[in-house]
Amino acid sequence: MAEVEETLKRIQSQKGVQGIIIVNSEGIPVKTTLDNASTVQYAGLIHQLVMKARSTVRDIDPQNDLTFLRIRSKKNEIMIAPDKDYFLIVIQNPSD
Amino acid sequence: MFTDEALDSVSVQSQWRISQQSAQESRSCQTRAVHRAEAEVQAGSSSTCCTQTETQPQEELHLQDGLELPGLRDFLQRVEDPVVRELVRNARSHAFDEFQVNWEDHRQRVSCLHFLQHSSAQERGLHVTSVSWNCTGSVIACAYGRIDDGDWSTEMSCVCTWNLDRRSLNPKQADLVIHVPTAVTALCCHPEQPALIAGGLYSGEVLVWDTSRTQDPVLVQTGMSADSHREPVYTVAWVPLQKKGEFGVLSAGSAGRVLLWTVDLEEARFVLSAAYALVPQQLPHSSGSSSSFKARGSSTVGVTSLALSPWDPDTFLVGSEGGLLLRCSFSSQTPAAVPPEGQSVTLRAPAVFLFKPRSGPVHSIHCSPFHRNLFVSAGTDGLAHLHSLLQAPPLLSLRVSHSYVFQLQWSPSRPLVFAAATGQGEVQIFDLGRRSLRPAATIEGGTDQPATCLAFNHRNPHLLAVGRTDGSVGIWQLSHDLTEQGPRESSQLEQIANQVAE
Repeated sequence: MAEVEETLKRIQSQKGVQGIIIVNSEGIPVKTTLDNASTVQYAGLIHQLVMKARSTVRDIDPQNDLTFLRIRSKKNEIMIAPDKDYFLIVIQNPSD
Repeated sequence: MFTDEALDSVSVQSQWRISQQSAQESRSCQTRAVHRAEAEVQAGSSSTCCTQTETQPQEELHLQDGLELPGLRDFLQRVEDPVVRELVRNARSHAFDEFQVNWEDHRQRVSCLHFLQHSSAQERGLHVTSVSWNCTGSVIACAYGRIDDGDWSTEMSCVCTWNLDRRSLNPKQADLVIHVPTAVTALCCHPEQPALIAGGLYSGEVLVWDTSRTQDPVLVQTGMSADSHREPVYTVAWVPLQKKGEFGVLSAGSAGRVLLWTVDLEEARFVLSAAYALVPQQLPHSSGSSSSFKARGSSTVGVTSLALSPWDPDTFLVGSEGGLLLRCSFSSQTPAAVPPEGQSVTLRAPAVFLFKPRSGPVHSIHCSPFHRNLFVSAGTDGLAHLHSLLQAPPLLSLRVSHSYVFQLQWSPSRPLVFAAATGQGEVQIFDLGRRSLRPAATIEGGTDQPATCLAFNHRNPHLLAVGRTDGSVGIWQLSHDLTEQGPRESSQLEQIANQVAE
């Protein structure tokens, strides 16, 4: 488990990173650096969005698949790396 | 020969009768005395316990710490490099630098939506002394009275409410008019229940009206008791109490008293739960500044404005008639140096810190909803001062107008914007993010009638209500750039707040 913590620390130390959440395939957060309320909110909402994005990509071209999802908002950017078992959600404020 | 003979009578006892007499014997018996002993048993101590479920505001988060998470390490190894690459590239990218998206039509100008008047109040020439939006953001409540009255008056006045979301809105006729025996000097709507309004009167009474009752809207009132104010009440505010969901009413009057009332619904009365008195002798001395301010001859510090801090439930700020600006604490235990007048609660001295005094009554204080240390204050000197709670002199002073400033309020959506209602009739809106110190926008009333009060609508942050001395209330819709938050505003506010002198 120490390797997992090391990796998270490395990602957290990048410029402007505000938080990291790892969500399992059912949408339940397994690791987080944010407080509980925000984590639950992000996990629930983003899981649905990633599922929708993935099905959109595959509907257009069944041979294609979603590799990365980025949501840019006024205040920050949310990056999601999806996988079979887990999603990695990183929230970054690039202008920090 | 014949002689009289007397013979004794012979009696024959009746055998039968004797045999019928029952033999009689008497015997008695007695139980022995009953042994009795007395003993008492009493439970030594008792305790009561009650439980109550509380509403769960959010779901619980269970992180599976001890569980083996299969594949997590591999997943992270796979994913780490691409993610870090994207993060680094993002931090350096200029792709979105000046990119703005139009989700709605941008209003470029400030426009007047409604112009509300109450005819009977206007005929009598009453001024609007206070406006307040209710918690749903659709009803505006206006209090009428006089601001230039120095004398005791028995003029009837009223509190009017208009529901702006109704289609049948009539700007000339209020939806609900509550008649009040004296001028209303302060008004505040309940932050969670849309029907309750608290008001303070010129006579010193504090009332709560329930607008959902048709018969008699007065829910509770203090009446004229030993506990209540004797002088006009200038501010009322709803304060969250210890128990979640309950609110008490804090009232401050010009006799230097700040009183905290709780509403007792069963008996329909106010119960005084805490009382604070401000006395010149007990004011803290501001460190560093000159001690030229001495306690003047008056025996009380009349309170003209009060502000609660949304960040710290123990702090409240008080502005006085003499220009003093104080930070006070609800939990202070020092008793006040005031002769007791038969109150039910002992008076306490709440003042903790004195800011740099102003030259004239402080009419308005408001704490910033975006930064825990900042607040603005304004008074009759026409300046708006931006203070930090950490130091006595102000951080910034802005010239708002050449006459009095009656009320000042921070915008609920933009951290750097605040609006000021001035005695010249204009409402000046300042944006601290701009380089120049001139107002970002000015709302003119058309007439020279002073604007006495204003209130931002927290649900619809683009609405601003302004009350004037001609008895009219204007509802203004603000332009887009005054209501939409920019990306770096919080950090700019943080920078301003950190200019605290060392």
